[in-house]
Amino acid sequence: MKFTVSSAELLKKLQLVSGAIGNNPVLPILEDFLFTISGPKLTITASDLDISINTSLEISADQDGEVAIPARILLDTLKGLPEQPVTFQVDPDNYSVEITSIFGKYKLAGENGADFPDTPTPDGVDEIRISGMELHHMISHTIFATGNDEMRLAMMGVYFLIEPDTLTFVATDAHKLVRYKLSHSGQDSSASMILTKKSLNLLKGTINDTDDVVINYNKSNAFFSTPEIQMSARLIDARYPDYNAVIPTNNPNTLTVSRKDFLNSVKRISLYANKTTNQILLTISNGSLTISSQDIDFSNEATEQLTCSFEGEPMTIGFNAKYLMEMLNVIQSDEVKIELSSPHRAGILLPAEPAEGEDILMLVMPVMLGN
Amino acid sequence: MRDNTKCFKFGSCFLADPDNRQLMSLLYNRAILHLDLDAFFVAVECLKNDSLRGKPLIVGGTSDRGVVAACSYEARRFGVHSAMPMKMALRLCPDALVLRGDMDSYSRYSHLVTEIIADQAPVFEKASIDEFYLDLTGMDRYFGCMQWSGELRERIMKESGLPISFGLSVNKLVSKVGTGEVKPNGTIAVPSGTEKGFLAPLSTNKIPGIGKETYKKLSFMGVRTVKVLSEIPMGLLQREFGKHGQELWRKANAIDDAAVVPYEEQKSMSSERTFQQDTLEVGKVRDLLRGMTERLAFDLRKANKLTSCVTVKIRYADFNTYTMQRRIAYTATDGPLQETALDLFDRLYQRRQLLRLIGIKFSGLVQGHYQIDLFNDTLEEIHLMQAMDRIRNRFGHQAVMRASGLG
Repeated sequence: MKFTVSSAELLKKLQLVSGAIGNNPVLPILEDFLFTISGPKLTITASDLDISINTSLEISADQDGEVAIPARILLDTLKGLPEQPVTFQVDPDNYSVEITSIFGKYKLAGENGADFPDTPTPDGVDEIRISGMELHHMISHTIFATGNDEMRLAMMGVYFLIEPDTLTFVATDAHKLVRYKLSHSGQDSSASMILTKKSLNLLKGTINDTDDVVINYNKSNAFFSTPEIQMSARLIDARYPDYNAVIPTNNPNTLTVSRKDFLNSVKRISLYANKTTNQILLTISNGSLTISSQDIDFSNEATEQLTCSFEGEPMTIGFNAKYLMEMLNVIQSDEVKIELSSPHRAGILLPAEPAEGEDILMLVMPVMLGN
Repeated sequence: MRDNTKCFKFGSCFLADPDNRQLMSLLYNRAILHLDLDAFFVAVECLKNDSLRGKPLIVGGTSDRGVVAACSYEARRFGVHSAMPMKMALRLCPDALVLRGDMDSYSRYSHLVTEIIADQAPVFEKASIDEFYLDLTGMDRYFGCMQWSGELRERIMKESGLPISFGLSVNKLVSKVGTGEVKPNGTIAVPSGTEKGFLAPLSTNKIPGIGKETYKKLSFMGVRTVKVLSEIPMGLLQREFGKHGQELWRKANAIDDAAVVPYEEQKSMSSERTFQQDTLEVGKVRDLLRGMTERLAFDLRKANKLTSCVTVKIRYADFNTYTMQRRIAYTATDGPLQETALDLFDRLYQRRQLLRLIGIKFSGLVQGHYQIDLFNDTLEEIHLMQAMDRIRNRFGHQAVMRASGLG
């Protein structure tokens, strides 16, 4: 089997799918790209058993076939070559691959493509079509809030709820929570699933704002396809916590403040907070918001004051500055509204002017201040 | 002991090579002051109650298993010393007055002394509740170390009312031994060059780090004074005592390059309990552990700290001791800490044997408040915990606790 392909084009395609390859794969063959040739089409697949991505390109080949080629060395070889046609010659008996560039020959040991694990294919009838930009937004607004605790498996992913008029993404690590609702019609059934963080991160890196993404799903997998790639991602099989129950509804105290000013203030103040816990204090009263922190170990201390509009009882509440910064960073409106009820209950961050069709709610749990 | 190949920092010059000539000269010209409060617990008790002065006094546990924490010099005359079982101490000195001791007031006085030292000293290390090391290197040029130290001692005695002794020499080891020699209420300076001669006539058990076992072994070998020990080739000591042998030789030759490490934040909190009688009642032990954890968690919150590592320790009746630890997410709330402690205990308690002691330790401490969990914590629990903390802050530890921890 022999084929010729442009080195730069191949490299671009390989980089689209290489993210799926894990660090320590269970099967050695998962360190490889699977090259499948049928007619003038070369399909490249990468997988870590949970996620598989494939992409294809036009090539000229002498016959159909498949082979698995070690990913790391192939990528590095192509990165080191200037744009040029390269020829791959595969020995059908022992799957050794010989690459020929204008500079010389490189030989590496491939593996039998038939040993590469099968990738699941979409079988559900339900299909959602969403614009790349909208999906990109949904992912970037929520993914930072997912947890890392393997004891709480469900929270390691993003909850995806499909309802007739809305699509909802929810992410939480039990200290912060984001609920992103998007008005979207076209889907007629309801469903819910938990998508892994890795699959969404990969998806975020490969979709363009202009292309549409088609989402398919069944009980165990979700499938995403764009003109460039097809991806299948195993779902997290766990029960997502009842997030609606923990969102406080009665929040009589409302603070409105400029997002940029607040974010910059929190950034500066957090420099003076303990590096491990990052805790800062917000003292809120009519018309003024005082942000302060201290690190006793280094005798560091900082205080800043911001003007704000506030309705309700004055209060002091402590937060992890990192959580606030993550949230303020992704919100896009000029002003944010913070709804509070008491120093031990969740604070809710909302964009003061939500964008059309979007409903974003960010929740952050405070720290338990002493008496 | 500190690894002697470590880097030391002296002013602006930073040297990693211990054989470096410049560093060695700096080491030998060091001036290290060791301050030690005399019979600290007893002195505090006398301060509170003047009538106790001049009487044989013992501070320590009063139960069958109690040990002597401190004793007055009058009691020492009878052969009583600290860490001795109380029963034995009372046999030696039946007329001694035994006090339970009040840790709160001891740490208050210790803090008072620390403040005076912090006010005066350039670099100091609080080695224990009643011991301090000061690095006075380079001060000679301006004040005269001995005069300065004497003035500091006077000030401490005047302001706190506690007797204090000090030793001034070229390193921590010689200073500490010097203080031990002049106690109580004395001062000594061992100038550079005379430190070896100073240690030479002393018994080997005066050297810190030579405990009962090493002393016994050395005595069997016929080594009774530091002089003899210092003359033994290092190789021979290494053969007999392993790694420790090298240290012994260095100590006997008055070599100690440990630096004075400024006061550091508390790294862990712990609590231990020895049972009145060795026990097999696992249920009761678990309840006790639950109570100890709850109390320690309160201390944690009071200090505005969070822990990330829980260690449980058990000791069987035959003194075999086992510990097990687990890392957890930063917390200071009773629930997860108790759960972890009990789980560790259940894993540790494997032999169906009498238990003598249990202990709990929180380490990996960091300053901060507990981050409330969206799903696991309820507002009621948080309010309950805060209300209990308020009561304890006002009326003390024992004022309120969960019935499950009563044992």
